[in-house]
Amino acid sequence: MHEAAAQAPTPAFTRQELMVIEAARRLHDGQVVFVGTGLPLLATALAQRRHAPNIVMVIESGVIAPLVRPTPISVSDPKVMARAMRLGTLREVLGGLLQRGLIDVGFLGGAQIDRHANINSTQIGPPGALRRRLPGSGGANDMASHCRRLLVITHHEPRRFPERCDYVTSPGFLDGPGGRQRAGLPADFAVTVVTDLAVLEADPSTCTLRLTGLMPGVDVATVWAHTGFRPEVAPDLQEVAPPAADDLTVLREELDPQRVYLKADEPAAARR
Amino acid sequence: MALRSAARPAPKVMTAAEAVARFVRPGSVLGMGGQNIGRCPQALTFEIIRQRIGDLTVVGCNLSLGMDQLVGAGLVRRTASGSGNLERFGVTYCWRRGIEDGTLVHEDYSHLAMVSRFLAGEMGVPFMPTRSLLGSDMLADAPVLSWGARATGGAHDAAAAQRASPPKAVVVDNPWAPGEPVVLVPALQPDVSIVHVQRADPLGNVVIEGFATHEPEMLRASQTVIVSCEELVPTDAIRAAPERTTVPFLYVDAVVVAPFGAYPTSVYGYYDYDAAEVARYQEAARSGPAAVAAYLQEAVWDCATFDDYLARCAGPARLEALRAAMREVL
Repeated sequence: MHEAAAQAPTPAFTRQELMVIEAARRLHDGQVVFVGTGLPLLATALAQRRHAPNIVMVIESGVIAPLVRPTPISVSDPKVMARAMRLGTLREVLGGLLQRGLIDVGFLGGAQIDRHANINSTQIGPPGALRRRLPGSGGANDMASHCRRLLVITHHEPRRFPERCDYVTSPGFLDGPGGRQRAGLPADFAVTVVTDLAVLEADPSTCTLRLTGLMPGVDVATVWAHTGFRPEVAPDLQEVAPPAADDLTVLREELDPQRVYLKADEPAAARR
Repeated sequence: MALRSAARPAPKVMTAAEAVARFVRPGSVLGMGGQNIGRCPQALTFEIIRQRIGDLTVVGCNLSLGMDQLVGAGLVRRTASGSGNLERFGVTYCWRRGIEDGTLVHEDYSHLAMVSRFLAGEMGVPFMPTRSLLGSDMLADAPVLSWGARATGGAHDAAAAQRASPPKAVVVDNPWAPGEPVVLVPALQPDVSIVHVQRADPLGNVVIEGFATHEPEMLRASQTVIVSCEELVPTDAIRAAPERTTVPFLYVDAVVVAPFGAYPTSVYGYYDYDAAEVARYQEAARSGPAAVAAYLQEAVWDCATFDDYLARCAGPARLEALRAAMREVL
């Protein structure tokens, strides 16, 4: 199966492009999506222009329901405010919408995520033994605490997928089944991670990330080699469908013509 | 810029140098407006650096360019925020170095937790509950107080211990749903907050357009507020559209007229960010203290005012291009 898929489909595309397109496919028309900075902005803008014109983007700086202009690089970029229905405050979107329970999907990028879908954006090295300081939570902890569905887009490399995060900034399933309830968090929680190699989704019974999709031309051994833990493989493992030509056109020509995001070897620091 | 000459004399209207000298003191808890590359109070930040007012505790939700420059100038002892970064432009490198080498103490909260702290400060209550932070390592050192412990007197000792070393958050039972934990975060009332806005009048009525981030709560929570603005407008203009007033004059102590006062970050409706100048600072910040000192020497200490910096490092053609870029976006 994987040998056959390795033949380049037409049109040609990069795995990074397909990663963005596959993440966009996971968003549905009419959903209220809390969008983090970076690749989530790009993928949500793609969904909005393609299959989900009525998607409602919410951005933590206080932006509600914009029609984002290409190519926003920050949650405070004026391009994310274009033609919004409201430009408000951080409290009303993180408190009044997110904590209040009115967001369908939280969409995060560029994170370190572990077997139990806990996310670290604070530091490398455990508390008390800091080796590298990272930007911190931002709104990520709030998203993981209050969203019933979390979508994560990140490049697939072992250091981004440790067995256990050094520091839990944003709670996934914490220590496993029952972990969220014990901490006082809502138990109703689902996580999907889309990478340039694969799709991983949290198994509701074990509360661990398992492999549910492979990018064309990628096999399970390759994913394992690029993951700091060994995710189980879902029995109905799927191959991610190649992009439609229109998806690629919109992505390349309308949303990121300057190739701000869509670079072959993007430096890790720039994604944070 | 023509409005500057139209400014009527009023007690609150003053230069950045006067406002900073009067209201920012060594050891102040400094609330920072702006977020990432949007509406950062750069004219006021540069003035604090110019006057070398140190030992600061800098607080906000996202802390970015200005905070990093204050740290790079050696003026910051502590920070408390939800994040420190410039997104596509990288991390806040001076801040990162300070935390990693132990010269800077940082307290981590989420953005909602920080704005909840400002909200408590605004409301005049000692804390605000949130359901963020639960289960995370941001709560690793937070005491857990249950009503049961309070009844046995155990909480009394805990309370005494907390006064000696206040916790950054406390977990309690929801009194109306026992067994359901809720996080209390302490009120935060900065000694002085700095913010750059679109418009203000001589009395200090503030009009923020576009996204407002954490600023409404932070400004109303602060002991004193310095506002810099793109345009000074007459009070009649405020009275003609009072529903547009984001924060009324009651909270504001100083109004500084500073066109392009957020440069190189953007001001919604006025100008876009200048990627080249943000990147120029980031290049210096990334390479180390010597390059940061050289940047600050050129941009701050060798300039008498922020306008001098704009003339030296941006120039009218670039500033006009940023205005045109904003018109294009909107």
